[in-house]
Amino acid sequence: MLIELLTDKYPGMRFWLTQRLTALVMAAYLVLVILLLVIVQPARFEAWHALVSPVWFRLATILFFASLCMHAWLGVRDVLRDYVFNQGLRGYLQIIVDVLLVIYFVWLCFILWNL
Amino acid sequence: MKFSIYRYNPDVDAKPYMQEFDVALQEEDHMLLDALLRIKELDDTLSLRKSCREGVCGSDAMNINGKNGLACITKLADLEEPIVLRPMPGLPVIRDLIVDMTQFFEHYNSVKPYLINHDPLPETERLQSPEDRAKLDGMYECILCGACTTSCPSFWWNPDKFVGPSGLMQANRFIMDSRDQAIEERLENLEDPYRLYRCHNIMNCVEVCPKKLNPNAAIANIKDLKIARAKDKKPAKKIFGIKVG
Repeated sequence: MLIELLTDKYPGMRFWLTQRLTALVMAAYLVLVILLLVIVQPARFEAWHALVSPVWFRLATILFFASLCMHAWLGVRDVLRDYVFNQGLRGYLQIIVDVLLVIYFVWLCFILWNL
Repeated sequence: MKFSIYRYNPDVDAKPYMQEFDVALQEEDHMLLDALLRIKELDDTLSLRKSCREGVCGSDAMNINGKNGLACITKLADLEEPIVLRPMPGLPVIRDLIVDMTQFFEHYNSVKPYLINHDPLPETERLQSPEDRAKLDGMYECILCGACTTSCPSFWWNPDKFVGPSGLMQANRFIMDSRDQAIEERLENLEDPYRLYRCHNIMNCVEVCPKKLNPNAAIANIKDLKIARAKDKKPAKKIFGIKVG
């Protein structure tokens, strides 16, 4: 099973694969949004509102942002591993990124639930 | 022809410096190595490795106008003057253009670059079909010059942990060998977060390889194989600490 690769038995592959899987989710969402925009062609606020309000769209958007946050977390984690060799500094930088990503995600949920 | 060459003799020099040379070439001097040997006639303290002088031994790999390559198969006519020569980056310099390749060969050694087969030795050789043999093309030709690994930023940042394109291509060369029986061990040997996964596909290795090989494709193949083989395994019980089965 492919899911096996996401376990801690694969400390390298799980992160590499997660980055690819989240990229696939983001790509699928972008195709969906582009198709919707082409089909619906919302010009006014009401049309936009009607487009993004359905629960399924909000859930898809949350899934997209969760993937984006995970993808960004993995990317920054890679950069920090490559360039920051001081373990303490790397830890602090990682915490800043983690906190920022959580804030962004909560902010997005807040926006979506107040539509 | 004008040259600017990295000089460093740790017994004499406090720090490395660039030395300018203006050398008159002979009609038969076509390759960079020919010019270097002319320079050596002017200054025999200039140190470099060389052996086969035809791109087979991999001794004279160096950084030529900012790009790693073999001096013996680099045409002088293709180079812009002054030709700037430096040792390959990312490895300790022993002297002038000679680097200490211990780290490089330790990584090479770590992927067990030899056939592992537990069957009794056959009377003659272990046979392969032409199709299986063809799977080794583009990998067995590697001459271990180190041009790819020392042009890889992932190797520069983590030289002690990341195996590097050359070592990984050799790992893939034995993974793909139909006569080898240690695929599982070989894949597991590369599962650490650093050994294989520091590769971010920037493809400097492909760009510089003097034998026109593609270590990046070999690295991608190792990852693909891991995925393909995992599909046959039992389902996982825990993902990122969460029970799923």
